[in-house]
Amino acid sequence: MKGNNPMNETPIKVPDWSAGKKVMVGELFLGLYQPSPETTGFWEGVKRRELLFKHCECGQFHHPRRMLCSVCSSQKLSWKKSTGIGSVYSFSEIHRAPTPEYAQTVPYTVGLIETGEGVHFFCRIDQGRKTPIAIGDKAKLDFRVLESGYQMPVFITHD
Amino acid sequence: MNTHKLARSCAIVGITRAIGLKTDKEKKTPLQLVVEACGELFRTTGIDRTKIGALFTGRMPRSYFTLQYSQSVLNELKIAPVISTEVTSHGGGALGTIELAALALNAGLVDYALCVTGEASPIWIDMIGGSANWEADLQFEAPYGPTTPSLYAQSACRYMHEYGISSRQMARVAVENRKWALHHPYAAMHKKGEITVDDVVNSPMIASPLHLLDCAPWFPGGIASAALITRADIAKQICPNPTYIAGFGQWNTHEWVGERMGTWNVEPVKKGPSMVRTGAKVAADNAYAMSGLSAADINIAETSVPFTFANLLMLEELGFCGEGEGGRFVESGGIDFDGGLPFNTTGGYLSFGQSGQGLYLLKEIVDQMWNQAEGKPIAGVENGLVHGHGGPLGCHSVMIVSKNN
Ligand SMILES: [Zn+2]
Repeated sequence: MKGNNPMNETPIKVPDWSAGKKVMVGELFLGLYQPSPETTGFWEGVKRRELLFKHCECGQFHHPRRMLCSVCSSQKLSWKKSTGIGSVYSFSEIHRAPTPEYAQTVPYTVGLIETGEGVHFFCRIDQGRKTPIAIGDKAKLDFRVLESGYQMPVFITHD
Repeated sequence: MNTHKLARSCAIVGITRAIGLKTDKEKKTPLQLVVEACGELFRTTGIDRTKIGALFTGRMPRSYFTLQYSQSVLNELKIAPVISTEVTSHGGGALGTIELAALALNAGLVDYALCVTGEASPIWIDMIGGSANWEADLQFEAPYGPTTPSLYAQSACRYMHEYGISSRQMARVAVENRKWALHHPYAAMHKKGEITVDDVVNSPMIASPLHLLDCAPWFPGGIASAALITRADIAKQICPNPTYIAGFGQWNTHEWVGERMGTWNVEPVKKGPSMVRTGAKVAADNAYAMSGLSAADINIAETSVPFTFANLLMLEELGFCGEGEGGRFVESGGIDFDGGLPFNTTGGYLSFGQSGQGLYLLKEIVDQMWNQAEGKPIAGVENGLVHGHGGPLGCHSVMIVSKNN
């Protein structure tokens, strides 16, 4: 994923997801990072700095993109804003970057946040307290423009 | 011994493999390797293309993009099956081809089924750079910059936390696997010498808690495998020592790591979401039940999980030790090269190298039974277990094979 890095060219500008971004494996084109009709709502929320989960009429929250509730089989699911409160469920600190795009950022952490809604949300986790990221750390939602150039929901640990 | 109608109803009467290396002067495509393996199979079994009734292939190789891959294979081999498909549950699909073969044979649709897998991706594409994009959800995971080890590490992190597993216990798997690789001519680490627990835990951190030597290297080339499966009654007529398919099971739960926590209320996560319990246990339980055998009857076991911790986890899920005991099991010599359960006897993914998916692990067990192992021979193999895995611990197939009908 060499090439255009909007981080350098247009700092802080929130990119337009709808333009898509090519995902390449060497010379092989895999597809686009872009919202599809069933996920547009989520990315519209991200533009407004809101983290949205699918919420079923039975009360269950789902992520990502659930269209059929795995608890009650209903298809009546709507986007509902997360409180943005959670804790670290699992994590991994990446030392070898996947591509040159990420090489300047290592080490950085990706992991699962267990949110107040009961969703396990995969995202970037940043250390926001003195001690290194650990299971059970409290974490809250924030938004960051990441190496891909896209603004993404992330979680930051706190005391 | 048992009454399951599928148990020992079918047998492997031939199994072949073709290898191409990155360093070969003439680099080979997956299709070339598949043809090589199938050609050898036709010639050695005496069952040629005109007798093949069913064709089941593993998934399309990453380095051979084509829709309807099974069609490409039958087109090249000029076979005309009455039933054929590609089995796509990642590395679990390789053994899935043989499960489908057993079903088609038992249904009386065909007399001979050809099962084929092949990958040559490391020869042709950037597996490390591309890997996370293959393994992660493109919209919801990939933009965070995960690597494949970091996705599996989510389970490693929980496994250590929930059961008190240590890095040194995990490292023991790499140490023992390496010893087998030193005996296998094709193992990626064949000439790299023994390693110690200290070597593993002191190797560079890749994605915590996984060090370099906790991770499987890519096999430096491509491998295709082909197996000929027939009913037990035919097998006895055409093969002096058929390897019977004693039992099998498959269990697939999710595709992306972030999705696995949503699979609650079905086994293996009946009691709630978990990052550490996997479908391998259900697949293994079903395979044991079909075969009438237990883990104590198994003389050799192979798994295709690509990280040290996952091998410990699989030793638990496959029934060789209890839940949470994987670390203590290997520490107390459970998989020792000298005297333990023969486990990953080609060197495993950690030292033989991984080739995406394939039947080559099954071939190792059959080779041991037929006294034609390429690596270290193991005496008296009666029953063997092979575990095919794919996705981030998402797809699991288990097959138990036996010398005995
Ligand atoms: Zn519901």
